[in-house]
Amino acid sequence: MSSTFDLNKLLETSKIDPVLQQEIEQFYYREALLLDNSGFEEWSKLLGEDLRYFMPIRRNVLFSSRSKADAVSRISADDEFAHFDDDIVAMRGRVRKLLSDYSWSENPASRTRHIVSNVIINEGNENGSYQVCSNFLLYRNRLEHQVDMWAGQRQDIIKRSDNRLGFEISKRTILLDQSTLISNNLSVIF
Amino acid sequence: MEKSSNWPKNKIKALVNDEEGILDAQIFSDEELYQIELDQVFARSWILLGHESHIPNRGDFFNTYIGEDPVIMVRQADDSIKVFLNQCRHRGMRLSREDSGNAKAFVCTYHGWAHNIAGELIDVPFEKEAHCKDFNKAEWGPMHARVDTYRGLVFANWDQDAPSLIDYLSDATPYIDTMFNRTDGKTEVIGGMQKWIVPCNWKLASEQFCSDMYHAGTMSHLSGVIAGLPEDVELSADMIPTQGHQFRAKWGGHGTGFYLDQPGLLTAIMGPIITEYMSASPAAKAASKQLGSEYFGERLFAQHMTIFPSCSFLPGINTIRTWHPRGPNEIEVWAFIVVDADAPDEIKAEFRKQNIRTFSAGGVFEQDDGENWIEVQRIFRGNKARKTKFNAQMGLSHIANDDPNFPGRMTGVYSEDAARGFYTHWMRMMTEPDWKTLGP
Repeated sequence: MSSTFDLNKLLETSKIDPVLQQEIEQFYYREALLLDNSGFEEWSKLLGEDLRYFMPIRRNVLFSSRSKADAVSRISADDEFAHFDDDIVAMRGRVRKLLSDYSWSENPASRTRHIVSNVIINEGNENGSYQVCSNFLLYRNRLEHQVDMWAGQRQDIIKRSDNRLGFEISKRTILLDQSTLISNNLSVIF
Repeated sequence: MEKSSNWPKNKIKALVNDEEGILDAQIFSDEELYQIELDQVFARSWILLGHESHIPNRGDFFNTYIGEDPVIMVRQADDSIKVFLNQCRHRGMRLSREDSGNAKAFVCTYHGWAHNIAGELIDVPFEKEAHCKDFNKAEWGPMHARVDTYRGLVFANWDQDAPSLIDYLSDATPYIDTMFNRTDGKTEVIGGMQKWIVPCNWKLASEQFCSDMYHAGTMSHLSGVIAGLPEDVELSADMIPTQGHQFRAKWGGHGTGFYLDQPGLLTAIMGPIITEYMSASPAAKAASKQLGSEYFGERLFAQHMTIFPSCSFLPGINTIRTWHPRGPNEIEVWAFIVVDADAPDEIKAEFRKQNIRTFSAGGVFEQDDGENWIEVQRIFRGNKARKTKFNAQMGLSHIANDDPNFPGRMTGVYSEDAARGFYTHWMRMMTEPDWKTLGP
């Protein structure tokens, strides 16, 4: 069972108001600004109580014909091993770790840069919610010369909120474009 | 002219001093020692490939490695498992290029040499037109490894003369059973495997899971514990126990350590639901019965273990992984999760959730292990640093063989006796080609 968005729906011509498109894009840029400036506490206030932060594992699978090459056969299912599957409690704990002095994998802190683009928005299933896809390139440099780079897509469900940045993230599914992870850990927030 | 080795046997033996607890850092970074390891350790040891439930049905296959050799692990029609080199005998193309699946045959995508699921060459295109009349397909299939299983874990060994898996595991089996024999219903995997690259020598990881409760009881995982505390609770020193146990196998380099009667530790890592299941539930009581002792069952917590050379696991957290070497300075970690097959669905889901939260590549505990290992490895580029003599002396004066509850050679939980055993066995494998002297 897949948590990913329907590609055909994403490909439909946008019916989204350009003002909303800009609002949501700006939300993502400001979210990135928080994450790249160790604003983890602030960032955690953008998360809904019903959060699912999910990064399935990507697999290398032969497909028998192009038309059958859908995402489901190439990502892990909901009950299989995943890179992340946090609810709001687990994510708050993760943030608490990032803020602690003893988080050696992030102290000294990494220098990260979240480059977010390709924002595609659809109305969500719930009233007032939106399904938003965004591509990311997350660059990390730490200590003397360790460099890691991750590229992929986030598929979010967001809702308007009276929080500081105006939207709340209730679901985030991250499709990382790697199968074997080419980094020694995943201590960053995508 | 053949280059003479930098490493005659007496020089390798000098790298590990069991009696005095001294390790020479060259074992972690020397390129020639690594090549000898591939030959003398990885090609002669039982290597963990996965779990029976990764390949439940006929034709199911799972691709992995023995050392740096890619292998295909396939379930046969008669329910046995075969493991063979993932390399076509024609010109060396990888036979199976995906992670896992179900196959009726393995057909090389280079020239079409076809193999059955038993890894035998069965068809060659244009055989009549192109190949000579002496060509006998039976001689041209990929090399096979020996396969054996223990409690659902599938191991393979290239060496026909190596001891059987059960002999190889020596007296370590009761300590393996704490994770894999809690119930007659056996274990199964939470589907899939997580793979990630860590730039460090494989022995740093293997040794840590074998013998290093010390890092968990001191600095490395403080923030991992913090991540799991209730929001209004602060970290405090009295959360970490001072007493516990470490076991060193009498043969084979295997080792493990654990605490007794410390359910709070498991709660700090896996939460209250798993702790209840592992210590107070009917399943926990049944596990004590199955294992023959509550000391091995409901009273044992926060265990770490390595089966030499490269299989490590954490019972109670239920992560298990193979450290695949990629040169002296890098590994690929291939990890999976195991649960009791007869556990309720909510327990399996909770194991999955907490395991991912704590000990996957993004896990709040695992992240910091990666940090230690890569820093250690980077420093070995140094001319002086790579020849340092390391102190591995913890527990030298506390070795005993008379614990009424835990059979075997035991020290306290903050000990390096298991590490000394690990490296001593490594040194023996590197210098004793003959199983007649090396064997258990």
